[in-house]
Amino acid sequence: MRQKEFTDVIKACRRRLNMAGFLKFLVSALAVGAGAGILFLAVSFVMPFYHALHFALAALGLAVAAALFCAWVKRRNMQQAALVMDSFGFQERIITAYENLDKKEPLLQMQREDAMKELEKHKGRIVIPLLPRGRSLALTATLLAAMLVLAVLPSEMKDRAAELHRLKEQAEEKQEEIQEVVEGLEELTQETLTPEQLAALQEMMESLAASMEEYQQADSQGTLADANEKLAYKYENMAEQLFQMAQDMPAGTPMAAQSAAAMENLAQNMQQMSGAQYLASNQGQNSQNGQNGQNGQNGQNGQNGQNSQNGQNGQNGQNGQNGQNGQNGQNGQNGQNGQNGQNGQNGQNGQNGQNGQGGQNGQGTGSGAGRGTGSSDTEHDYVSVPNAIADSGNLTGNATDHDDSEFFRVQNGLSWEGKHISHEAVIGSYERNAYEGIAAGRYPSGMEEVIKEYFAGFN
Amino acid sequence: MSITEINTPEASISMAQQLAACEQEIQKGIIGQKEIIRQVMLAMLTGGNVLLEGMPGLGKTRLVSTISKVFDLSFKRIQFTPDLMPSDVTGTNIIVKNEQGSSFSFEKGPIFANLILADEINRATPKTQSALLEAMQEHTVTVGNDSHKLEEPFLVLATQNPIENEGTYPLPEAQLDRFMFKILVEFPSKEELKGIVTLTEGAQAPVIEKKLDGQGLLAAREMVNVIPIADAVMDYLLDLVMETHAPNPYIKEGASPRAAQALIRGAKAKAFLEGRLNVSFKDVEEMAYPVLRHRIIPSFDAISEGISEDRIIAGILEKKKPSV
Repeated sequence: MRQKEFTDVIKACRRRLNMAGFLKFLVSALAVGAGAGILFLAVSFVMPFYHALHFALAALGLAVAAALFCAWVKRRNMQQAALVMDSFGFQERIITAYENLDKKEPLLQMQREDAMKELEKHKGRIVIPLLPRGRSLALTATLLAAMLVLAVLPSEMKDRAAELHRLKEQAEEKQEEIQEVVEGLEELTQETLTPEQLAALQEMMESLAASMEEYQQADSQGTLADANEKLAYKYENMAEQLFQMAQDMPAGTPMAAQSAAAMENLAQNMQQMSGAQYLASNQGQNSQNGQNGQNGQNGQNGQNGQNSQNGQNGQNGQNGQNGQNGQNGQNGQNGQNGQNGQNGQNGQNGQNGQNGQGGQNGQGTGSGAGRGTGSSDTEHDYVSVPNAIADSGNLTGNATDHDDSEFFRVQNGLSWEGKHISHEAVIGSYERNAYEGIAAGRYPSGMEEVIKEYFAGFN
Repeated sequence: MSITEINTPEASISMAQQLAACEQEIQKGIIGQKEIIRQVMLAMLTGGNVLLEGMPGLGKTRLVSTISKVFDLSFKRIQFTPDLMPSDVTGTNIIVKNEQGSSFSFEKGPIFANLILADEINRATPKTQSALLEAMQEHTVTVGNDSHKLEEPFLVLATQNPIENEGTYPLPEAQLDRFMFKILVEFPSKEELKGIVTLTEGAQAPVIEKKLDGQGLLAAREMVNVIPIADAVMDYLLDLVMETHAPNPYIKEGASPRAAQALIRGAKAKAFLEGRLNVSFKDVEEMAYPVLRHRIIPSFDAISEGISEDRIIAGILEKKKPSV
C-alpha cells in the first residue's frame, strides 16, 4: 500500500464517521424537535394558537440546524479517524504511522510499512455503521408520526385560532389605516390653525387612538364590526369637521390655502374610508349572523320583529321579520337588527353555518352588532354611561331633560345623537346579556367582577 | 553497533528474534511465571530496576541467575540483613602495602556486577538501603572522593517478603521510586509446581545457554528508545499518571514524574517485544500495574478497607478510558 492509498483509506473512514455522526445528531435532534412540535400542537388543542404548526415546523428546522452545527463542531479529523480505525484491532499502528507520515527515520519508515501492511491485510475489519441504533430511529419516527397526526387533526380550537388570526390581521390593517390618518392629522397641525381648530384636531387624534385601542382589543367578529362601525362614524364626523375647518380657513395666505386643501383631501379620504368601514362592518356582521343563520329557529323570535314597530324606522320592522338574531330581536326596538336579518340570509351560505352550536354564541354577539348596524342612516341609540351624563350639562337632551341627545363633542370625546331611552328600560336586558356573556366566557379574564359591580351599582 | 545500524529492518527483526529466543531460554530454567519473566525482560530492555515481591522459595533468585546466564552478564547476590553495612555493598578503601609503601586501594563491593540481586532488601537498615540509591539511579558508586562507574548494563533486582514484617525496614518512597517496576511473584499453579519439582529434583538440570550479550542488550535498548508513540497514546498515559493526583479517597499521594517516564519506556519495550514498532493503549494499560503500584501511597481508608494498590489502579484505568 502506498502512502497516498493509506491516507485515502483514512479519509474515506473519516467521511463515513462524519456522516454517521451527523445522522446520529440528526436523529436525536429530530426526536427533540418533534417532541417540542408535539407540545406546540398539543397546546393548539386547548387554547387558540394559530402559529402552532409554524412553531412545530420551526422546531424541526432548528433541530436540523442544531444537528448540522453539532456535526460540524464534532466532526472528526484525520487523527481521530485513524484512532477509530485502530480500535478495530490495529493497536494504534495507523495513528502512529499517520502522525509520522513525513518522517524519514528508518524505524519510522518500518513502522509505517508495518501499519500499511496490517491495514491492507485486515481492511475488512473496519466496519462503521452509518445509521444510529434502531431504537433511536424508531423513537424519532414515532414522534414525527405523532406530530404529523396532531398537525392534520381538526379541532374547534384550531378553527377559533384561525378566526382570531384573521381578526387580528384585519385589526392590524385598520390600525395602520388609522395611523395614516393620524399622521395626516398631525401634518395639519400648523401655525395657521386657531387654538380651537388645533384642539379639535387633537381631539380627533385622541378619538382615533381610542379606536386603535378598540382594534387592539378586538377578539371577535362582533367587536371588530363594532369597532369598524364606530370608526366609520368617526370618519364621517371628522370629515364633516374637516370640511368645516377648511371653509373656515382665512383666505389669502398661501399656507392657509394649502392647509385647507390638505384638510379637504383628508376629509375626502375619510369619507371614502367611512363608506368602506360600513361595508366592512356589514360584512363582518354577515359572517356573524351567518352563524346565527343556522339558528334558523331564531327566526321564531322574529316576533321580536314586532318590536321593530317600536323602532323608529319602519325599515327596521321589515328587518325584524328576518329576526335571525333571537335575542337581538328584543333589541328589535332599535330595529338595527333588521339589517342583520338580511345578512342572516348570507349566513345560510356561510360555512360558519356548520357551527350550529356556535349559534348560541351568535345570539349574544348578534345583539351587540344589531345595535350598531341600524345606525347607518338613522339616529343612534348608544346609551352613555348614565352616571356620567346625568345632570352633567354636557349633553343636549341629557338625563335631566329626558330629551333626545344630539351629536355633541365634549371634553371626554364624542357623544352620540339619538333618542334618549331611560336606562331603567334597558338595564334589565343589558344586565341579562352581560351575565350571559360572563357565563359564556366572552369577556376577558378579570373583567367579570368589574361588569358585575357595574350592574350592581344600578340596584 | 551504531543507531543507524540498529535501525534497519534486518537488525530490528533480528533483535526481536533474539529477544524472543532469550525469553524462551529463560523459560527453560523457570517453570511458569511467564508474566514475571516478561516484565523482567522489559526491565532489562529499558534499564530499569525491579522490585520483586513474593513469598520465599518462589524462584526469584533462580530467575535472576538464569537471566544472567542467558544474557551472559555478571551476577552478584547480596543478602540484606540488619547488620549489613553500606560498605559491604559498595566496597571500601583499604590500605595495601606494596613496594612504595602503604596506600589506599578501593576494594569493589558486590555492587560491581551487571545484575545485582538484593535479596530481602527490606531487612537492611535504611542507611544500607540508601547505599543502593546512587548505583540504581546514576549507575555510579562514590566512596570517599572517588566515583566509580558501574559496568553497563547494570540492573538491580531486589526482593522483599510481603509477610514477616517484624524487624524489617520498609523502603522509603524515594527509594521505591527508583525501582521501575514492582512485580508481584504469585504462587505457581499446581501444574507449574509439578514442572518446578520435576525440573529441580530430576537427575538432569537444564542447560541454560547464552543467547545475547550485554552489548546486544544495550543495542536493543537503543532500538526501544526510538519507538514512536502517538500523541493520543501519550495523552492517555499522562492522564493516567495525573489521575493518581486527582481527589481519590484511596490515594494519599500520587505517582511521581518518574512514573510517566517508566510507563513510556515500559510500553515501548513491551511493543518491541511483541514485534510492534508503535505503542498501543493496551501496552500502557498493562504497564500501569507494575509501574504505578509502588508509586501510589494508599490512604488510611484504602488500608483499612483492604483496598490494594492494584485495585486502585484498576479503578483509574476504568475511569480513564482511551478517547476514540
